[in-house]
Amino acid sequence: MPKIKDKIEEELQAIFSADVPWITIVWDDPVNLMTYVTYVLMELFGYSKEKAHELMMKVHTEGKAVVSSGSREEMEHDVARLHEYGLWATLQRGDQAT
Amino acid sequence: MKENEHGFFRHGDNAYLAKFSESEREVLVNLVEQIIELLAERVDHHNDDPLAAMVGITMHDTPPDDEVLLRLLPNAYADQVDASEFRRYTESTLRQKKQAYAMAMRMHLKSAVDGIVEVDHDGANAWLGAMNDVRLALGVRLKVEENTHQELELLAPDDPMRGVYAVYSWLGWLQESLISALMDESE
Repeated sequence: MPKIKDKIEEELQAIFSADVPWITIVWDDPVNLMTYVTYVLMELFGYSKEKAHELMMKVHTEGKAVVSSGSREEMEHDVARLHEYGLWATLQRGDQAT
Repeated sequence: MKENEHGFFRHGDNAYLAKFSESEREVLVNLVEQIIELLAERVDHHNDDPLAAMVGITMHDTPPDDEVLLRLLPNAYADQVDASEFRRYTESTLRQKKQAYAMAMRMHLKSAVDGIVEVDHDGANAWLGAMNDVRLALGVRLKVEENTHQELELLAPDDPMRGVYAVYSWLGWLQESLISALMDESE
């Protein structure tokens, strides 16, 4: 059983600390081509080739990278778009351990 | 698969071309059709609430059992409660988007004249998404991991996975050719 009380506390905390941004994380995947990950980051976020390449390298070498941050709704949108293109992405509160 | 030696190349401002043999087109159509079918499996046939069905809310909030579907429709949150909630409201839209990419690719292949496929920027993105889904699906079946490429290269000639790996590699090469054609433009 998920701890409902913890969950409620977490939600309440989220409401009262709305300025804490949420983040979108892209995880390393052995199938997705490096150039493809770079291209998708450029296309979806409008990042320069250099920035997108840097983020892709971080995913590749460190296993994951934060690719965007903002409100929870914005990050849900980003994750949905990344899933559309087959990148492995999740979102979470920015102050949570990844 | 010898005819297509160059993959995609850029033609003018907003066109990307590739020439495929008949057998190459057959292979590609077959693969995208499998993806379209697979994605249709999660459609709710007995959604009790017609309004919910209309706005794309699905009744299931559990991740797919099938390993391939799970890779195509992954969890958005590590937290199971949040992941279920998100899935309930978004999975059917995600499935439709992926099907639309696969259907666009299928349509381009079916309507190719002399085997030549021509796509614009949006069409190219649909191809990339659809080709990537096929590669993800094949990758799950081939159990591709960070260091398995060497093993897969050395599969015995009579191993049925050898053919699957050949298609997987070819698709990666094709995807790469389309990306470099698109990247040329953005410089």
